[in-house]
Amino acid sequence: MGKAKQANKKKKSFYDYSLLFVIIFLSCFGLIMIYSTSYYTAQLKLGDGTYYLRRQAMILLGSFAVMIFISKIDYHFWARFVVFAYLASVIMMVLVNFTPLGREVNGKKRWLGISDSISFQPTEFVKIALILVTACVIVRLVKQIDHWKATLIVFGLAIPPGLLVLMNNLSSGIIIFGIVFVMYFVASKKKLRFALFVGGFLALAFLAIPLGEQLVKAGVLQSYQLDRIHVWQNPEAFASEGGFQVLQGLYAIGSGGLFGKGLGNSIQKLGFVPEAQNDMIFSIICEELGLFGAACLMLLFLFMLHRFLIIASNAPDLLGALIVTGAMGHIAIQVILNIAVVTNSIPNTGITLPFISYGGTSLLFLMAEMGLVLGVSNQITLETL
Amino acid sequence: MIRNRVVHKRKMLWAFLICALGVLGLIGRLGYLMIFRSEHYGVMAEELHQRERNIKAARGTIYDAKGQVLATNRTVCTVSVIHNQITDADEVVRVLTEQLSVDEDKVRKAVEKYSAREIIKTNVDKTTGDAIRACNLNGVKVDEDYKRYYPYDTLASKVLGFTGSDNQGIVGLEVIYEEYLKGLDGQILTMTDAKGVELDGMAEERVEPIPGNDLVVSLDANIQQYAEQAAKKVMEEKNAKQVSVILMNPQNGEILAMVNVPEFNLNDPFTLNYDLTEEVTQEEKQNLLNKMWRNACINDTYEPGSTFKIITMAAALEADVVSLNDSFYCPGYRVVEDRRIRCHKVQGHGAENFLQGAMNSCNPVFIDVGLRLGVDRYYSYFEQFGLLKKTGVDLPGEAGTIMHQKENMGEVELATVSFGQSFQITPLQLITTAASLVNGGHRVTPHFGVKVVGSDGEVRKTFTYDAEESIISEETSETLRYILEKVVSEGTGKKAYLEGYTIGGKTATSEKLPRRSGKYISSFLGFSPAENPQVIGLITIDEPVGVYYGGTVAAPVMADIFSNILPYLGIQPNESYDSQTES
Repeated sequence: MGKAKQANKKKKSFYDYSLLFVIIFLSCFGLIMIYSTSYYTAQLKLGDGTYYLRRQAMILLGSFAVMIFISKIDYHFWARFVVFAYLASVIMMVLVNFTPLGREVNGKKRWLGISDSISFQPTEFVKIALILVTACVIVRLVKQIDHWKATLIVFGLAIPPGLLVLMNNLSSGIIIFGIVFVMYFVASKKKLRFALFVGGFLALAFLAIPLGEQLVKAGVLQSYQLDRIHVWQNPEAFASEGGFQVLQGLYAIGSGGLFGKGLGNSIQKLGFVPEAQNDMIFSIICEELGLFGAACLMLLFLFMLHRFLIIASNAPDLLGALIVTGAMGHIAIQVILNIAVVTNSIPNTGITLPFISYGGTSLLFLMAEMGLVLGVSNQITLETL
Repeated sequence: MIRNRVVHKRKMLWAFLICALGVLGLIGRLGYLMIFRSEHYGVMAEELHQRERNIKAARGTIYDAKGQVLATNRTVCTVSVIHNQITDADEVVRVLTEQLSVDEDKVRKAVEKYSAREIIKTNVDKTTGDAIRACNLNGVKVDEDYKRYYPYDTLASKVLGFTGSDNQGIVGLEVIYEEYLKGLDGQILTMTDAKGVELDGMAEERVEPIPGNDLVVSLDANIQQYAEQAAKKVMEEKNAKQVSVILMNPQNGEILAMVNVPEFNLNDPFTLNYDLTEEVTQEEKQNLLNKMWRNACINDTYEPGSTFKIITMAAALEADVVSLNDSFYCPGYRVVEDRRIRCHKVQGHGAENFLQGAMNSCNPVFIDVGLRLGVDRYYSYFEQFGLLKKTGVDLPGEAGTIMHQKENMGEVELATVSFGQSFQITPLQLITTAASLVNGGHRVTPHFGVKVVGSDGEVRKTFTYDAEESIISEETSETLRYILEKVVSEGTGKKAYLEGYTIGGKTATSEKLPRRSGKYISSFLGFSPAENPQVIGLITIDEPVGVYYGGTVAAPVMADIFSNILPYLGIQPNESYDSQTES
């Protein structure tokens, strides 16, 4: 059925080349920045300056093919696998957390696999799986979506995999619940309750700091448990508790100025910012390309989000709209949190910058997700535009 | 198929707008960081990246009056570690602890500290530095720089002083002339990566060090050496605790020599100049070192005794309450109020005139003269002669005069002050006042510093010193010189007599407090030529064993010193200076 339909609409169908172009541009820019940030340390540690570049480029090529493939197939096809995807993500998270198959890197058990080269981070899969699952569930419940039972089901489904992720990866957990929250927000007809919820959440977050200090004084909490907060408030005074890394990022940003030191000229990447090609890559972008370059990159992300909005608004049905909304929430939350961490606007937590940071799993599943979005765009008939 | 309804589309727009707000907010935050905080973080980053290596500036040389080098510099090493380049931390800690004899904890702390460079120890011997360098340890840097070096070791140790680990003056002239002697350290700034490896192709900033200026002092190494030998000889002969000698030009206050034996080795100032008989704590050792570094001529006060009669003489002559031929009678004591004050000659000097009283150093004569002046006048002369103020010598820690309050001075106090007891002054204060009284009456400022010369040989500064005019009249000064010449040629100072020279002087034997402990300070103050003094000297011998009379113990030493330095200073025997002063 799908095939016939696809063939039928081929002439009139739409494909969002603007989005495709942004994706290509961002991932290629990412490659350049990974090369720039990792060359020096890779040369020193591995004797091969292009190590990270070559790995990422290979994965990018593969992921790109995956993306095109996914985008050419009707997204309703992928929606059939939701139950399987849901179960798979729960099982994978259980395997990571509770079996020897879960591999520890830098003290965090986040990898699933049998060796260092054959392993991946299932949290990335959980994100895309939950976007699909939540979209399908909401479509089923859309008539009574504002009933408390519907709320319970939507979020209840997210809780098992979400908590499993949260166990050893706070930031991914936040992203997962954030995505579900955004999708539910779009599906719902209400506004006030969301505003109240967000307001309440923020108030709680602000109250948590003085409350935490009081608990430390009362002896309930240990001071080190608030280290992240202390570092965030005053990275210079808590350098050894983690402020060192934050400060190094700020040094990089601060020394960039308006137009930066020029591509490749960062000094902070020479070992000062640890693993500069990962979470902190944005700080090196700031140092090398300055405020101008960094702002351009952020506007590009904004443009991408806008493309999502257009695709979602014109999606042939609610399922497509929700999938794209989920992707939009995903990219938006991840970009905002990453840059907020790098600029020390919020306490430190490890989040990668989509399309730019080094990381194979993350790139592969991002591209798959983009494939879904492009696939939704591909189902838009030009008449509806 | 569930339709994508308008309500959903509106919510999508909302979601997008909220995200856009977040992104724009972050761009704003970024703008703040990169424009307004740019300087702050940029400077901090620069500091982190730049490894600065100090180039120590050479400290100025100290020259004596004849151009001999008294203090200069020698090459030594600074040992430091660079955390990120260290490969074998334990080995580094072991070698450095062993070679440099510093606390292991201190080394380990420095080794583990995350910084571009951490200094372990400065002023390391070149041989030790070479030994460490030969170990070829990664992350250990040995840089050469300067250390103070004193070619004469002990010469004038308590005057010159020495420098600390950062080449800063600690005591003596090194402290007082710090601002001239110290140079401005230079720096080499190089950019490094996080491991502290210097980056190629980055501009190296180099700030050249500016060497310190040289100091020329009035001290004469030859005179100082001779005086030191003489002092050491009498100290050993008389088994004395210590001997001090000051030699000065009475006309302008230039100090030619200032000896305090035992001296200490300036190249090893933290080792005591004697063997300890028992174990001492760190604190006690520091106290002993401080004691060893003391300059008794200016840091310590004593009761001057009979040498102070010069001052009583001058005051009485100036006030015209006595003349040379006034008659006195000494029964061997004098009763003042209810106190019986004895003369050193128990049986008494009998009838004598003032000149004879001075030559005999007769206490009752000076008590009478002092009482004739009265407390008010005596006190005002004491002040007029500059005895209440410090001399203003260019050395640190000069002690002030310890004198009765004028209100508390009765006749008994006045009587004892008249012959040099019951108050304390420094040896330098005594010789300075005496010099000012015999030089025609202008109060000089004793000093060492003459001029500051730049490393290019150009004179940067010539020091000038205040001289107070007419603290006594020229006639009084002349009479005083006449009396004091008689003291040496015919009186108690006979042993200071030197064939061919006219010498004026006064002996003293002060009993130390508490009285009757049998401890004395024997001293002699003398000047030559008596008619027109060119050099004045004061020797104090602390606690001589055996014969302790100043005239017997101290006077001959000064005669010996004079016999050598007078020809050296170009003062020929039998030459009369009278004609010169009159012309």
